[in-house]
Amino acid sequence: MEATMTTMFKRIPLALATAITLGALSVAPTATAQEIDVRGPLAGAPAVIGLRVYRETRFQIQLHSTMTLEDEFTRAVFGGGQLMFHPTDWLGIGAWGGFAFMHLDTQLTDEVVAKGQTNGVNVISLPDSERFPDQIGKIKWIAAPQLSFIPLRGKLGIFEKLFVDTDFYVFGGAAFIGLEERAEVTKNQASACKNMGELSTQIMCFSRDVGDREQRMAIAPTFGVGLSLYLADFLAMTLEWRGMPFAWNTSGTDESGHPDGDFPDEAIDSEDQLSHFNHMFTLGFAFYLPTDPGLSHMDEE
Amino acid sequence: MVLKTPTRYVLISALCALVSPALTHAQDMSFDLDEAESDAAPEADAEAGGEAGAEAGGEVEMGGEAEAGGGAAAGGGGDLLDELTSDDDMEEEAGDRAPREKEVVEEIYAVQRMYVLRNGRFELAPSVAFTVNDPYVSHPSLAVGLNYWVTNVLAVGGSFLWYQGVESESDLNFSIRRSTRLAVPITQYQLGAHLNFTYVPIYGKFTMFNSAIFQWDSYLVGGVGMVRTRPVAVVDPAVRSFDFDWRVSFNAGIGIRVFLSKYLTVFGEMRDYMYLEKLENLDVRLGEERESESTWIDQNATLTNNVSLHVGITLFLPFTFEYTYPK
Repeated sequence: MEATMTTMFKRIPLALATAITLGALSVAPTATAQEIDVRGPLAGAPAVIGLRVYRETRFQIQLHSTMTLEDEFTRAVFGGGQLMFHPTDWLGIGAWGGFAFMHLDTQLTDEVVAKGQTNGVNVISLPDSERFPDQIGKIKWIAAPQLSFIPLRGKLGIFEKLFVDTDFYVFGGAAFIGLEERAEVTKNQASACKNMGELSTQIMCFSRDVGDREQRMAIAPTFGVGLSLYLADFLAMTLEWRGMPFAWNTSGTDESGHPDGDFPDEAIDSEDQLSHFNHMFTLGFAFYLPTDPGLSHMDEE
Repeated sequence: MVLKTPTRYVLISALCALVSPALTHAQDMSFDLDEAESDAAPEADAEAGGEAGAEAGGEVEMGGEAEAGGGAAAGGGGDLLDELTSDDDMEEEAGDRAPREKEVVEEIYAVQRMYVLRNGRFELAPSVAFTVNDPYVSHPSLAVGLNYWVTNVLAVGGSFLWYQGVESESDLNFSIRRSTRLAVPITQYQLGAHLNFTYVPIYGKFTMFNSAIFQWDSYLVGGVGMVRTRPVAVVDPAVRSFDFDWRVSFNAGIGIRVFLSKYLTVFGEMRDYMYLEKLENLDVRLGEERESESTWIDQNATLTNNVSLHVGITLFLPFTFEYTYPK
């Protein structure tokens, strides 16, 4: 009986939801099929005639600067470029890439350097707080073949004075990410250090290798949205947001094991690479070749 | 934020209920012959100042804005199908639902009207907000705003945000404590209430595959209000607990609003709520002073930025409006 009542109560929201949906549909205006014969000058016309076609059969060469967002320990600043070809005005194919020429430590990293504490439990994770910046993970480069889809093309006006052609695009592809992380510390290495006796001796043992780095390449999906503001027939400023989820060890610490269970596992390895939703903002300037854009539907004017 | 399945059903359905009538209203257009003949086009139209077709630099646009006057003149609330069939209501009521042909003529006007007039209208804006700048604790909220448009580009209004119960602490806090023996002081929010101005300096329109046209604008928002917060005890949770208290908060942001009809929009907004926070004291006093509440709070206030991404809809009231000048 109790189970039946529970089931019934669970169904009430579902029934309520169904009723709301049906009610909404019933009050919505009824659409009736109708053929419209527009006889005026707009009969059969596209939304815009003489639209500047900025992308169709044109190459785009973009120079950009990109900065990662919401980083825990360090944020990367990239310089790079993008090469795209657009077979149509709404589709592009090409590649985006960048090299990180600067890494800016976050306030949290500064706090760990200044106040981090080391004891017998976390000595493998933080053997030397002052050298913490040497152990954090960094993105070194990114290369991403991708497709761009440009569904929206329009213009915007600023203070009713300045008008700029613009388009909105989404993109997606595969990203190859060059990473630099703290070098692996095996369980044998860790146990050798842990068996050295006093904490100060253990700290010295772990600190020897804390600055060692390993390079690897991660592969991840990448996607995002962007806005192009056309400053001239051949030049656009682009604002773009990009996401790329992948797993890496951002802190160089021992993270594996259940949070409430078997921590630490006394090793720094691939088990400590945790999933992160990495995302970034790009400001770029795109040059288009050939330099003159086409015009749409000119034969219909 | 994880919603239980029944709650999700209700929210999705409520969203359907709000959006479904609007879907058939998107992009009002009037091709009505009578209207086109009766409304003589004047040489200039003050209301059209912001949407003059000439600014396109040679582009000739059709359909995208010719609808602006028609919807209002017809008084139909902006429904394309209603307007197209408005002359034949009797036949509709008689139950004649068979496909049929209708002749319409569309006029081109030298200067087009603005798609929507906002002055003198209220704007109700429910939304959900997500924290984008705090990796330690997330402050999502349910928000609602109410604006009154003094002019077409300037509004005054207020907003209310509810946080308690939907906040969540990230795994990063636990990881930091475990790996570095550092406690990061965090706070919990209960609610916020703000007064603000909204100004629209940027507007535009998009065509999708050179067929449908979407009107949109970008706006700046800013103001002052109060937010009710309290520290979360992470340094000495065995002894310390905190009550909510009010803080003065300033906010500034930028948003984008896309019109689905003359009264319904979807919007996204990035707003920074700034205030001075009293965090938990990282030092724990010994002896009897440990129990003294005066030692629990750090006396130095910390400037806190809660940058939130709002996503929601806005509803303009009244639904219809009238242009001052004829087409």
